[in-house]
Amino acid sequence: MKRGLLLAGLLTLFLSVPALAHFQMLYTPESALEQGGEMSLKLVFTHPFDGDHIMDMDPVQEFYVAHQRGEEGEPRKTDLKEYLSEITWKGLDDAAGKAFDANLPARVVRSMGDYVFVLVPTPYYEKADEGYIQQFTKMIVNVGGMPGNWSEPLGLPAEIVPLNKPYANWTGGVFTGVVMSNGEPVPNIEVEVEYLNVDVDMTANSFVGEPKIEAPHPAFETMSVMANGKGEFSIGLPKAGWWGIAVPDVVELEHDGKEMVQEAVLWIQVTDIP
Amino acid sequence: MLRRGLILFVLAGFLTVAGTASAHTPLFSCFDNADGTIYCEGGFSDGSSASGVPIIVKDASGEVILSLQLSGNSDVEFDKPEGEYSVVFDGGEGHDILIPGSQIFE
Repeated sequence: MKRGLLLAGLLTLFLSVPALAHFQMLYTPESALEQGGEMSLKLVFTHPFDGDHIMDMDPVQEFYVAHQRGEEGEPRKTDLKEYLSEITWKGLDDAAGKAFDANLPARVVRSMGDYVFVLVPTPYYEKADEGYIQQFTKMIVNVGGMPGNWSEPLGLPAEIVPLNKPYANWTGGVFTGVVMSNGEPVPNIEVEVEYLNVDVDMTANSFVGEPKIEAPHPAFETMSVMANGKGEFSIGLPKAGWWGIAVPDVVELEHDGKEMVQEAVLWIQVTDIP
Repeated sequence: MLRRGLILFVLAGFLTVAGTASAHTPLFSCFDNADGTIYCEGGFSDGSSASGVPIIVKDASGEVILSLQLSGNSDVEFDKPEGEYSVVFDGGEGHDILIPGSQIFE
């Protein structure tokens, strides 16, 4: 009887372990900039709500920015791989993993308009799943208030295209986007949402402090919403800070003789009304 | 007939005013190219072009030293003036922006 209870207890523990959601982060402190200039970004593969479990990144496949100022002209693409350098990133659990930072000179983010940063990491081998994950990650910065190409799809295999300016969201607002694959909407797919629940130390290359929120239940750590038949989804924005939106399993294919899923990630920033 | 004409006139007036009083904000930015030239770009917060907007460069005493226009790409480049200067985006009443040369960096 006692043994049965122990087994039941253990089973409950296992069942209550949340499904850990991997999010490729592409982080900079501010996405709505008054003016351009030198800029620093951190590329970290982690669990943003917990601020731990830093996964080793391999050398980046692609890292670029597509910039457009106003309605005139086409988006101009600039390769940024030359600005990457490998770093070690430390999580709240003190465990560390390989990550990257990018220190961009002033000439890259100088003109007004939108800068759509795109990161294509080397596929990550997840031992537990015996397969690879590759997350096409976007983060959008604006300089000077002049909009540009924030709503333009880039034709990535897995992509979230914003329907709101991703750098201009008030706390309490709603954010809407479209899940796309190679420029076509992906209907009825699950979208995951996580709050970056920890502070970031850009100098020490680490998450710091205590988590800002304690989730009452694992389901609140990684929230889920289903996209509709047109691939559109909406989420509420209850707290200021950075929110990661991920769409798992947009594309399933093979890589090195194993299954690989290509996923979409978009980071948006939320600001309190003063 | 007269009454109908008056209503049409008033309506047309409202429409014209509504058309010009749009919610966009003028935006203007300049930086020093570090090669003896200054680059400026303009536009509006709704993404619309500022092509053709006059750009005036003034010296410390307010004298106009250059009168330019934003290009079809809403930008302009000019030789950096000696001494103190300022650059004005002359977008009309309520749409002027002045940037002092001391705030124009590389």
